[in-house]
Amino acid sequence: MERKPSAVLIVALILWTFGVAGTVILPLFDQEINSATASGELRNYQEDSAEARGREIYVQNGCQTCHTQFVRALPADTNQNLGPVTKGGDYKYDLPHLLGSNRTGPDLMWVGLKYNEDWQRQHLIDPQSTSPGTIMPSFDYLSNQELDDLVAYLMSLKPTEERLEEYKKELNDAKSNSN
Amino acid sequence: MFTDEKWSSSKNWFIAAVFWIIIGMSMGLLTATKQIWPELLNNRWFTYGHVRSAHVMLVIYAWLSMAYVGSMFYMIPKLAKTKVYSEKMGNFALVFYNIVILEGFFALLLGQTEVIEYGEFPLWVDVQLLVAIGLVAYNLFKTVGRRQEKMLYVSLWYFLGSLLWLPLTWIVGNFPAQWIPSGVQQGLMGWFLGHNAIGLWMTTVGVGQIYYLLPKLTGRPLYSHQLSMIGFWAIATFYVWNGPHHLMNGPIPGWISKAGVIPSIVLLIPVWAVLANFWGTMKGSWSQTRTSVPLRFTVAGTIFYLFACLQGPLQALPSVSSVIKFTHWTVGHAHMGPFGAFSFTSFAAIYYILPKIVGREMFSKRAMEAHFWFSTVGFLVFAFSLWIAGVVQGFAWIEGVPFLQTVLMMEPYVQGRAIGGTMMYVAQFFLAWNMYKTIKLAKLEKKQQAQQQAASA
Repeated sequence: MERKPSAVLIVALILWTFGVAGTVILPLFDQEINSATASGELRNYQEDSAEARGREIYVQNGCQTCHTQFVRALPADTNQNLGPVTKGGDYKYDLPHLLGSNRTGPDLMWVGLKYNEDWQRQHLIDPQSTSPGTIMPSFDYLSNQELDDLVAYLMSLKPTEERLEEYKKELNDAKSNSN
Repeated sequence: MFTDEKWSSSKNWFIAAVFWIIIGMSMGLLTATKQIWPELLNNRWFTYGHVRSAHVMLVIYAWLSMAYVGSMFYMIPKLAKTKVYSEKMGNFALVFYNIVILEGFFALLLGQTEVIEYGEFPLWVDVQLLVAIGLVAYNLFKTVGRRQEKMLYVSLWYFLGSLLWLPLTWIVGNFPAQWIPSGVQQGLMGWFLGHNAIGLWMTTVGVGQIYYLLPKLTGRPLYSHQLSMIGFWAIATFYVWNGPHHLMNGPIPGWISKAGVIPSIVLLIPVWAVLANFWGTMKGSWSQTRTSVPLRFTVAGTIFYLFACLQGPLQALPSVSSVIKFTHWTVGHAHMGPFGAFSFTSFAAIYYILPKIVGREMFSKRAMEAHFWFSTVGFLVFAFSLWIAGVVQGFAWIEGVPFLQTVLMMEPYVQGRAIGGTMMYVAQFFLAWNMYKTIKLAKLEKKQQAQQQAASA
């Protein structure tokens, strides 16, 4: 093999294919990530709805570079009150996915639960007015229509009522256990 | 139209690479500065998200990848004891590649993004970039095919593997999202590219460069051929499995997580095999790092490579990940491989190869020294700011400190990062200026020589 480049290439290709099979192909057959949860269904926006357009604006302006949509069953997330832990099926209709990798700003998975529309709009136009000291830039360059759409998208980021109830119950149980 | 001059491909790819390191790092510095003054240059085109994406894509696919291709256009024919298959095609590929990068840069500033980290260019750019990479790979495979030296030195293994893996990995990561189940599945495919752009391109070409440079710069043979084979095949076997660890503790089933985490930890084996081989080769030559800047860059690169690869497996442990994931720590780690390790080895490659091509020494030794020290000290300030910040931030989240307050707590570290980053950025001007002077003087000297010969004849 030390004299045959083709042999090196073939073995290199086979090893690469194993990795693809294990980490990309096999997950295709996993039910957990490929069937939508009820909360995931809520994100199946109709084409050209305000939420769908808002999502585009979210992507175009790179919101995902600072904000994750990714809640883990870990103290770092539960102690920050990020809401229900996310499941694979919550993302079934996410195209492109907006999981993110960095929290320069807070997680937005269920941000629709936290503030109202007026707050969101004000925060986008003048972040300092709602969150003094924040390092989020203002998005005052967006048109009114774009801001409306983006706010509609952010407000839609909620779990179903049942999921929320379930989560609150778990929180209470955890609290009473620790007391 | 395109020159056929010997070594012109290598030289021209290097020149373009250094142009892009300046542009790419400007974007990086702007990103860092925007975290201090969020309203700086804030508009529809230069909003934070666009600038950050442009920075990542440019330093990896413009600067580092072009420097890699420049190195390979010299190292591969040298190792194969033959000429480049087609210098013309090499130069054409360079022009094409640069046009595609420009397209990608503007696309990102206009808000067109595929969102996938390390694969953010939109699809129409991805396809063209694939063609450009394909052209380079074809040219270099053909060069190996015409080799006079039958034994394949270990660097060639790495280069061949990388030139095969990059286009394939690029296809998986940039596969049109509409054609696959969306959501987490796309996340896994994206992170397959995200991690393997590092594992099967940045790492493997970089390690190949080091294997080439160390024996040349020290004048000593490679420590162990066996060890280099073990390292190569272990990287090829395990690196490709690493993608899922980016979604660890998250919305993926346990088995996928394990399939990603275990190989990440096993990677300690090849890393150790590779480094033992590097440092074995260095035996008796350490003192040369005092005088030889290229050797010092290479050795510093191996040290940063070690630390990046100690951090990596550690971060892949779910418990460690639960503290530092999503914090500034990750950003520090993400710079150690591409900048600390492999930009350093690429600097060494430029300083070693360019004088051989143009036929004269680098213009200024002091500029090389300045380049090294600004890069190294700047990077250490940059990285330690982020690592400390990440740990503080991670534990503050666990304590339940309100998010905005954790942002305010980070202020001094974010400033430290920008200061270190400024030094890293300034360093590159020493490189660019030195290269410019060297090439210009070499041309002048050649002209004078020709005139003298003509006069005496």
